[in-house]
Amino acid sequence: MTADALDPLIHAPARLRIMVTLAALNDGDTLSFTRLKDMLDLTPGNLITHLRKLEDAEYLRTVKTGNGTASLTSVTMTRRGRAALEAYTAALRDLIAGV
Amino acid sequence: MNKTHDTDKSPAGDEDGELDPRDAARIIEQTEIQARRQFETSSPLAALLGAGVFLFGYGAVWFSMRDQRVYAGPAGWSLALLYGLIAVSAIVGSRVSRRATTGVSGRARRQMQAQSAAVMVAGMGAWVVEGALRHLGVSFRIVYGIFGPTVPLIALAAAAGGYAAAREKWPELGLTMAIIAVAAGSTYFGPNGAWGLTGVGCCVALMTYAAVLTVRLRRPSPVQP
Repeated sequence: MTADALDPLIHAPARLRIMVTLAALNDGDTLSFTRLKDMLDLTPGNLITHLRKLEDAEYLRTVKTGNGTASLTSVTMTRRGRAALEAYTAALRDLIAGV
Repeated sequence: MNKTHDTDKSPAGDEDGELDPRDAARIIEQTEIQARRQFETSSPLAALLGAGVFLFGYGAVWFSMRDQRVYAGPAGWSLALLYGLIAVSAIVGSRVSRRATTGVSGRARRQMQAQSAAVMVAGMGAWVVEGALRHLGVSFRIVYGIFGPTVPLIALAAAAGGYAAAREKWPELGLTMAIIAVAAGSTYFGPNGAWGLTGVGCCVALMTYAAVLTVRLRRPSPVQP
């Protein structure tokens, strides 16, 4: 098995950390953008870029509540995202075991 | 505003396919441990503080009554110490819980609010019964010496244990079962036993729970071969 077997969308440090962090939440729970940014120590611009890529793949879903300055953006992992992360970790385990 | 993009610190760049598999496994492990710590609503420190409440709070009450031939109740200073320790422990516990759930919404938060309500109602129910027993003429020795230190605790632990069982939180379920067993068993030994044995037993249970929590928070990722 080669590294090509790993999902390229997840196989990047920042996106991997985003996915693992959100997977630590209970199924269906959401995490605010601010808390996620603080936990991962990413700039807002970087985080938005990575979230957009993962959202395009339907691994994540962003939820916006409220209007104007009171608006709050939250992120939640989809079932598809959870399954993708599980497949990624399984592939990674096999890859490392075979090295 | 000099925030560094975290991926700059990573062993590989952030471009697709550049990340070494072993580095990826390390990132998963570190991130999992960090996330577990951040989202965990109970901390080893809070559990140790709880152990201190039982050892020193219940211990102080036991100490103040240890030579009583006829039950006269605990000394005021021991009750003040007990309630002071309970207040400190409650403040620390709520801070840990608030920190863990900041920014988190959805089922987890609703479950926690429901758990808090269930535990509070269970405790209040037991305290109401305690008042009713005294109102009906049951002796101070039984009401405050035996019922007081054990039954409300059993009610609180039972409510918390039900929640832990529903969420398959086994260490928390084990802790609540141990507290119930110790508190129930200690009632056979009179007021001194109820305060002393419950204090020591619950202290040991909470210290064991703190150790289990510490190990769980440091558990390595299943990705590592």
